[in-house]
Amino acid sequence: MTGPTAVPALSGTQRAILAAYTDLIEELGSDDVSYRVIARRAGIAERTVFRNYPTRVDLLLATAAWIEATLFAREESHSIFDIPLAIRDAMQRYDARPELAHVVAETAMRGVNGAAPSPGRAQLERLLDAEVPSLDAAQHRAVIAALSHLDSVGTWVTFRREFGMDQRDIADAAGWAAEAVLDSIRDRVAP
Amino acid sequence: MEEPVDTPTAILASAAVLLRERAFDDISYRALADEVGISERTIYRQYPTRAHLLAALSNWIEQTCFPLPPFVTVSDFCAAVHERFRAFDASPAYAYVGARASAISPTLDTEPAYITRAIEAMLDVAAPTLNRRDRRRVAASLRYFSSAMFWARLRTGFDLDAGEICDAFDRAVGTMLARLPDATWAER
Repeated sequence: MTGPTAVPALSGTQRAILAAYTDLIEELGSDDVSYRVIARRAGIAERTVFRNYPTRVDLLLATAAWIEATLFAREESHSIFDIPLAIRDAMQRYDARPELAHVVAETAMRGVNGAAPSPGRAQLERLLDAEVPSLDAAQHRAVIAALSHLDSVGTWVTFRREFGMDQRDIADAAGWAAEAVLDSIRDRVAP
Repeated sequence: MEEPVDTPTAILASAAVLLRERAFDDISYRALADEVGISERTIYRQYPTRAHLLAALSNWIEQTCFPLPPFVTVSDFCAAVHERFRAFDASPAYAYVGARASAISPTLDTEPAYITRAIEAMLDVAAPTLNRRDRRRVAASLRYFSSAMFWARLRTGFDLDAGEICDAFDRAVGTMLARLPDATWAER
C-alpha cells in the first residue's frame, strides 16, 4: 500500500469491532477468536457483530483493509522514485506488529472477491503516468506489478521466513529490489 | 492399484478433492471427516488448527501437483518458474492455497522452501565472487518474484494470465540481475 487507501466509510460500531478484533489477534492469534469474545471486547451484542460481518471471511477482509489503512498507513509519496523509501518504512511497521502483518498477508492471498492484493496500485499508476508517460503497455504493467509486489507485507513475510532476515535486512533488501525496478526507467523521466 | 496411504496423507488427498468444488474456508473438518471416512477427532489430532491443515495441504499440493523442475543456470531457473506459473494458471484453486500458506504465521519450525536453497546454489555458481549482502538481496528478490504470491497478486489484483505474469517476472528478474557487477559473473 502506498499513501492513503480508499477504505469504505465505517460506522462507529464497525470501527469498534475491527479495533477489538485487531487487539485480540495480537493477543490470541487469528484462529482462536470467537465472535462472542470480539463482541465482549467491543462492548456490543454478539448479533451486532454478525449483522455487520455475517461470515469470518467478511470480518477478516474488513479487518485487513482497516489495518492497512490505519496501523500500516504510510506517508504519501510524491514521486515514483520515492517508493523505495516508503517500502523501507513499511517493512519497519510490519516488523513491529508481526501477528497483524501475517493476517494482512494471508488475507490478500485468498483469491476471493474483496481481497485486495495491491491496494497501492492506483497511486503507483498516477505517479508513473505523470513522471514516465512514455513506457509501452508491457513495460508499464511490469513496473507497476513489480513495485506493487514489493510494496506489500508479502515481502516482509517471505524475506523473514525464507531467509531469516531481521528488520534492517528486510528493509534493505526490499528497498534495493525496488531501486532495481526503477533502474529500468530512471532515464525515461518526462521533461 | 493405488498404494495404501497413511491417515495424514489420506486427509490431505481428500481435502485436495474437496478443494476442486469449494474454497479452503468452506471445507469443514466435519465434511473432510466424512470424505475420508474417519472421525472428526482424528483430523483434529493430526491438524489441531486450520493453519496446520493449510500448511500441510500446501506442502502436499506442492509435491504432488507443482514439482519444481531442477535448475542450475539462470535461464533454466526462469524456464522452471514459467512452467510453474502455467501450472498455477491451470489449477488456480491449488495455487491460491500455496500462496496463502506461504503468508501465514508458521505453525512449526519451517525450513526454507527447496526453491530458496536452489536459488542460492544457482547464484553461488553464476556469480561466485558476489559480496554477501548483494547475494542475499538478489536471492531474496528472485525468490519473492518466483513465488505463488507473485502469481496470485498479478492474477487477482491485475487480472493477468500466465503469459503476462511470466513477462512481468522476466522483466523484474532482469532488473535485479542487471544490478550485479559484470565482473562477479562466472560467464555471461
